[in-house]
Formats: sequence, C-alpha cells, structure tokens
Amino acid sequence: MMNTAFKNSVFGARTVAALAGVVMLAASARAEEWVRYDARPGSKVKIEGTSTIHDWTMEGQIIGGYMELPKGVVLDPSQAAVAGTKDGKLEAHVESSVPVRSVKSGKKGMDEVMQQAMNADKHPKIQYHLTEMTLKEPHAAGTPLQFDTKGELAVNGVTNKISMPVTVESVDKTKLKVIGATPLKMTDYKVTPPAPSLGLGLIKTGDEVKISFEWLVAMPEKSADAK
Amino acid sequence: MNNDEGSTGQNGQNDWNRREFIKGASSFGALMVLMGGVPLQAEDKTNAAPATAYSTVGAPLNCALIGCGIWGREVLQTLALLPNAPVVAVCDTYEPFLRRAKEAAPKAQTYTDYKKLLEQKDVQGVIVATPSYLHREIVEAALKAGKHVYCEAPLATTVEDAQAIAKAAKAAVKLNFQSGLQMRSDPQRHFLLQFVRSGAMGRTIMARSQWHKKESWRRTSPNAQRETEINWRLRKDQSIGLVGEIGIHQLDLISWFIGGQPTAVGGFGGILQWNDGRDVADTIQTVFEFPSGVNLSYDCTLANSFDADYDMIYGTDAAVMMRGNKAWMFKEADSPLLGWEVYARKDQFYQETGIALVANATKLVALQNKATEVVPFSETALHYALEAFVKNSNVVTTGVEDFVSNYGDSTDGLREHLAGLSKSRLPAAGYREGFAATVSVIKANEAISKGQKVSMQKEWFEI
Repeated sequence: MMNTAFKNSVFGARTVAALAGVVMLAASARAEEWVRYDARPGSKVKIEGTSTIHDWTMEGQIIGGYMELPKGVVLDPSQAAVAGTKDGKLEAHVESSVPVRSVKSGKKGMDEVMQQAMNADKHPKIQYHLTEMTLKEPHAAGTPLQFDTKGELAVNGVTNKISMPVTVESVDKTKLKVIGATPLKMTDYKVTPPAPSLGLGLIKTGDEVKISFEWLVAMPEKSADAK
Repeated sequence: MNNDEGSTGQNGQNDWNRREFIKGASSFGALMVLMGGVPLQAEDKTNAAPATAYSTVGAPLNCALIGCGIWGREVLQTLALLPNAPVVAVCDTYEPFLRRAKEAAPKAQTYTDYKKLLEQKDVQGVIVATPSYLHREIVEAALKAGKHVYCEAPLATTVEDAQAIAKAAKAAVKLNFQSGLQMRSDPQRHFLLQFVRSGAMGRTIMARSQWHKKESWRRTSPNAQRETEINWRLRKDQSIGLVGEIGIHQLDLISWFIGGQPTAVGGFGGILQWNDGRDVADTIQTVFEFPSGVNLSYDCTLANSFDADYDMIYGTDAAVMMRGNKAWMFKEADSPLLGWEVYARKDQFYQETGIALVANATKLVALQNKATEVVPFSETALHYALEAFVKNSNVVTTGVEDFVSNYGDSTDGLREHLAGLSKSRLPAAGYREGFAATVSVIKANEAISKGQKVSMQKEWFEI
C-alpha cells in the first residue's frame, strides 16, 4: 500500500523523465535530492466523538507511510530558522495511512459498528496525501515547529481537501514526531453516523468528530549512520 | 408464554388478553397507535435517520477441536452458540467420539491424526481438550503450525511439560494462547473481583473452597482397552488427580482474587469410597499457603455431595461466597454500612443472611427490571472463555497484519504494539496464569501423594 501511494505521488515526475530518456539519471538524482523518513512504531491516532448518551473515544497505534524532505532541509526546532524553505514554504512529500480496524474503542461491539459504518472491508485505510506545507513564522528557537498544511484525506473511499495546523518535534537526531488535529464531519465522507438500537433505546452518534494524531517517522538506520 | 389452564392471574383476573395483545401487536409503532399514542419517529422530522443496522458480531475465527471426549463435546456445543466460531475440523483417535463430534459440528472435517488437522489451511484456532498428559506435543505442534491455541487446564501433568508449553506460547508472539481457566473470562467473576478488591470485606484473612460430588469419576466403555484409555484420570502415571483436574480452577480463582501465588502446599488424600483398582485418591484435603498469612483450605471428594461446590473468601468485615454464577456477601454485625445492601436481594442460609452480589444490579433497577428476576451474565464461564478466544485471536491476527504491513516484519516493537491492544481484548487466562496454576496443582498433588508439605521453589515457576 505504501508503494502504491508512493507511485501515485511521484510517478508523474518520473514518467516525464523516462520520456526524456534519462531514467537512470532521474532515479539517482531523486535518491540524492530527498531524505526519506519512514513511519515507525510509536504513533498514536485518536478519534473523539459524541452521542446522545456519552462522548466516546477510539484510539489506534498505527500510522504508516513516509515523509520526504528535500536534502538540505533540517527540521530542527532548536534553531530559529529552517534551512531550505522559501517564504516558509516547504516542499515535502507526505503519504500516510491508518488501517481503519486498528482504531479501537475498547468497548464491546463498537469497533465492529464503526468498521461497517466506514466500509472497512472495501476501504480498509484512511489515507492522507500532503499538497502544501508552510512554516508559521516567526519561529522561536527551542519551540516546536508549526506548519499550516493542506492535503487530501480519503475516508470510506471519499477524498476531501483539508487544512490543518501541524507541529513537528524532533525526538532525536533521526526521528521526528508530527502532531496534528482536525475536526471532521462523518457525512462529508458519506459515513452515516451509527445509530444502534440498544436496550436503552436509539443511540445516535454526532456527525462531528475530532481526529488527532502523533506520527513518528525516522530516517532509515543506514542513512542515519551516514550523517 | 404459558397460556394453558385459562391463565388466571393470582388476583383472579384473566390477564390472558392483555398479554396476548401485546405479544400479538405486529410492531411497536402499531401498538402505540392502537393505544392512542403518536409514534415518536413521525415527530422527529429534522433528524429522521432510522436506526442503523450494523452488526456488533466480531470477525469469525475458524476453530478446530482436538479431543472430542465429554468436555470436548461441551466445547463444541458452546462454540455452536457463538455467532462467529465456525468449527471447521475435529480430531479424535476414537472413531465413535469422532462421529458424535461430527454430529455436533456437521461442517467439520474429521481427523484421527492431529498432525493432519494442523495441515488444514483454514484452521485458525485450535482447542486442545485431550487428556492433560497429551497436551504438550499437540500444543507445540499447533503453535508451530501458526494456529492460535486454547489449551484446557491443567496445561500438563509435569512441571517440565507445563514449562515447555508456556515457553512455546511466550515465544509465539504472533499467536494468541489461552489456557482453559475459564473463570478468568466470566464477567460475574470480574464484578466480584472489583468488589473484593474494593475493601468492602475488610482485610482478607482466609479462603476456603470445596467440590463435593458423589460419583465414581470412572467412565464406561464397551471394550476393555478403551475403558483403560478413557479412564486416564484414575491412574497416577497419567493424572494429577482431583486437585489437578478440578482444584486448579478453584485455586486459580482464589490466587487471582487475593492477588498472589501459593508459597507452599500441604495435603492428604486417600481412596475412601471407590476402591476399584484406581490409584488416584477419591477424597483430598489440602492447604495452600499464601504470602501474608492468608491460606486457602481446599477439599474435594467423590464420596459425598453435601453442599456441592463453592468458593469463599473471608474478610474482617464480611465473607463472600461464590457458587456458579451467583455470589453472596455475609456481613459482620460491626461492619460499616455500605448503603446499597439495604435494597439488595437477600437469601437465607440457615441462620445467616446472604446479600446477593449481582453484576449490573443497579443498572437493572434503573431499567425498572426486578433484580430478583434477572441474572445477568447467565452464560457459562466456558461460553465467555471461548468468546474471548475468538475475539482475542482476531485482535492478535489483525494487530500483527497491521503492524507488519506498515512497519515491516520485525518483532522489534511488535510485542509492545500487541500489548497496547489489551483494551480491545476480552479478559482471559494467558499462558502465565495457566502455567502458574498448573505448577501449583502438580505440587499439591505431590504433597497429597506423599502426605508431606511442599515448599514452592522459584525456579519451578520460571518460563
């Protein structure tokens, strides 16, 4: 899945290069120009919602995918400036995804209901593709880096454009933590808010939910050594 | 509904019409209209979304049973009650048992060799209900074949075999292992655990359990060879006796509730009633010593059925008695008033008043049901245990798949990831609980055989 996402975003540029007959050159240039951070274990996803009875929370620990930054860009919150950005704009590639079934409520029956509501058998992943990332300036050295982002979020096979602020922290020299949150409406993604009929009567979940995440990404160990 | 004999109510009125009317009304809406009410749904114009018809049944797990004896058939009947536990294979070395198993699970493939069963690709979870001394080889092979395993208690009849099973289960990070201590999955027991731990009983001072039944424990068979085979429980070289096959569940319950493992065990036993050639005691008495001076005395007999089976924990303010899926509290006269017990159902036990401890009793009152009529969580402990096995096996399978497909196939971090899914699992005894209880009862059986006290050695409990 990671590979397909990768192809979708970068393959366009590669095809052009291939037409020019410089496939090898383009491939090697790509490897040199981008630094890749892969998703690592230790991420968190949280979906918070409401219902006619009580608020509910579902949590997951898996966010897959990768982030690619142009070589020379250093996301170092301890510095005031971020090297490699133009007018705050950061040219980054981000493809990430969350398996629907990995987000869990800890309540009997609720996960099954949510998975059916999101058609998890047809659309097993929530997917995100970044289109724009801009640094909020001025940035004070030592505080987490804050960005405004634009991207495309696909849930239940429906893709919508979303904007959200994200924060980037460095965990250590090779690891970054990307933190963000955004409100969503289930109906925007053609998800019918579940209204199970239980012993106490009809329970309706609210349309609006909040998704928040902490995404851990790291350079592969080899390139980290090379640095 | 019982509507024969004219159904005359206690106060002399005929209540047949009202009941039948309610039963016969085709829908709630129609009933409300007939009664002059306006259906609520019609009023709700702004948000007319009807109830969504999502199922709360979890993903299925293809199950296989190895060992189709009396308990194995119990397992099959229970699996048949679960909506998501299709039985796809059954195995027994004895053809008549296999045939009966096939009747209970008509869609299952049948095997006389468990190794062949383990080769069947669509088998996801294996329930091992063979004689206890045969567990090890089967469990090890099942885990090796990548199957989730539910192994009946006791895990084994020697410390060495139990250790081997626990080690194999621990090493199989990607598989779910459950030991057959089914009480650990029973919601009623979880409710009681909270109550016991809440301190409402005061300081725990001792525990006492018993299992009394008048029966031979000998199983009949049409031929002599089969008779020998099926009565493995009566022979010392294959059986750890009453304490091992029955006492393990009660010892585990008390260990769990008082939060500790026995440090020593002393015991006595003999053949007092069924002197039919067996060498396993039909009556035993044991004392398990726990840290902080709280001991469990346990007796088990096949010669007298008085008061059947139950478990008791005594505290300085109250005693709690657990019987099947029911429990009662007996308060001391000088114990503090808790409040709710004033309204609770009470049962008289000779000169003592037992206050019923019922899970969800307060919610039942809120729903205007009478707590006296409803026993919530009324399924058997085995039902909840197998439900947990299906659910937890799927949690592990999907957890592993999601982890591997996003982070690669390395066990680095996988164990932690799976541990992080614990909230999604249903409560169940794992290999640790199964192993500790098995070793304890193996040693108790030793103490009974020798008539000596055995002090538990730390290394016996290492995995």
